Amino acid sequence: MSATLRPYLNAVRHTLSAAMCLHNFNSQVVERHNKPEVEVRSSKELLMTAVVVSRNEKEKVLIEPSINSIRISISIKQADDIERILCHKFMRFMMMRAENFIILRRKPVQGYDISFLITNFHTEQMFKHKLVDFVIHFMEEIDKEISEMKLAVNARARECAMEYLKRF
Amino acid sequence: MAKNTFSSEFRNIDVDQYNEDNYKDDDGEPQSPPIGVDEATIVSLMNAGNHADALKLLLANAPVASKGKNEQAKDMALNLVLKVLLSVNKSQMDQIISSLDKTQLDVLMKYIYRGFERPSEGSSAILLIWHEKVYNAGGVGCIVRVLTDRKRV
Repeated sequence: MSATLRPYLNAVRHTLSAAMCLHNFNSQVVERHNKPEVEVRSSKELLMTAVVVSRNEKEKVLIEPSINSIRISISIKQADDIERILCHKFMRFMMMRAENFIILRRKPVQGYDISFLITNFHTEQMFKHKLVDFVIHFMEEIDKEISEMKLAVNARARECAMEYLKRF
Repeated sequence: MAKNTFSSEFRNIDVDQYNEDNYKDDDGEPQSPPIGVDEATIVSLMNAGNHADALKLLLANAPVASKGKNEQAKDMALNLVLKVLLSVNKSQMDQIISSLDKTQLDVLMKYIYRGFERPSEGSSAILLIWHEKVYNAGGVGCIVRVLTDRKRV
């Protein structure tokens, strides 16, 4: 199973490097406005083919590029109920602090757990290859963190139960 | 003044659609959809172990069209291509890829991404290996052409 992790992350990395070619582009619909076209979706010619890279039925990444922005949505592996709850709470925690993440989107795209929105302004201020590195690193670390949290929850529950049952 | 502006229906018209400069996706494609390859030929080629030819035949006759056109032919072609891709084993992949030219590599990459959209038992793992090898052969440009080409497979 982990044999697919490296190829999966490599495929996502290559696709992101290819898709993250962003130009400044003022809105064609409203003058003096500059909007991320992947969010507005008003003009077909500005949007590129949305592409999915999947590792299995549960884990996949949706990459929607456009001329001045790219939206990356990640679906995280959630094997059981505890992982589902932990994932949901963890993602919510981060999305509430999306301002500090800069490229994080406050709401995930329908069907996915978390989304990033990267615009040309971000690529102008930050290194493209570093942005890609960040997303890949994020994907790697999320799985580890959720497993760690799950272990911590189970350990705490065991401790509590032991202490409580010592009474009897 | 009240007479001729009695109805405010005119406010609901989307005037922008009548603009001459509007981007039209199809640009008039009377291209007759190639009937594509029929399943029997592909199956017989695969049973003969000749995956390379089966793949080349499918890639040459791929029904490419803009989004929304010819979906049925595209789906049928996709199923056949996925069947071939998933039945090839690793040692043959390099050989097959080196025998494809640039345009065929692009179409293959398009099919790989479409294959990712419907993951089935173990299919994604093989597709990931295909993706890696085609990337090594085609480079970043191959992926960029998949993203930017309006003619979807």
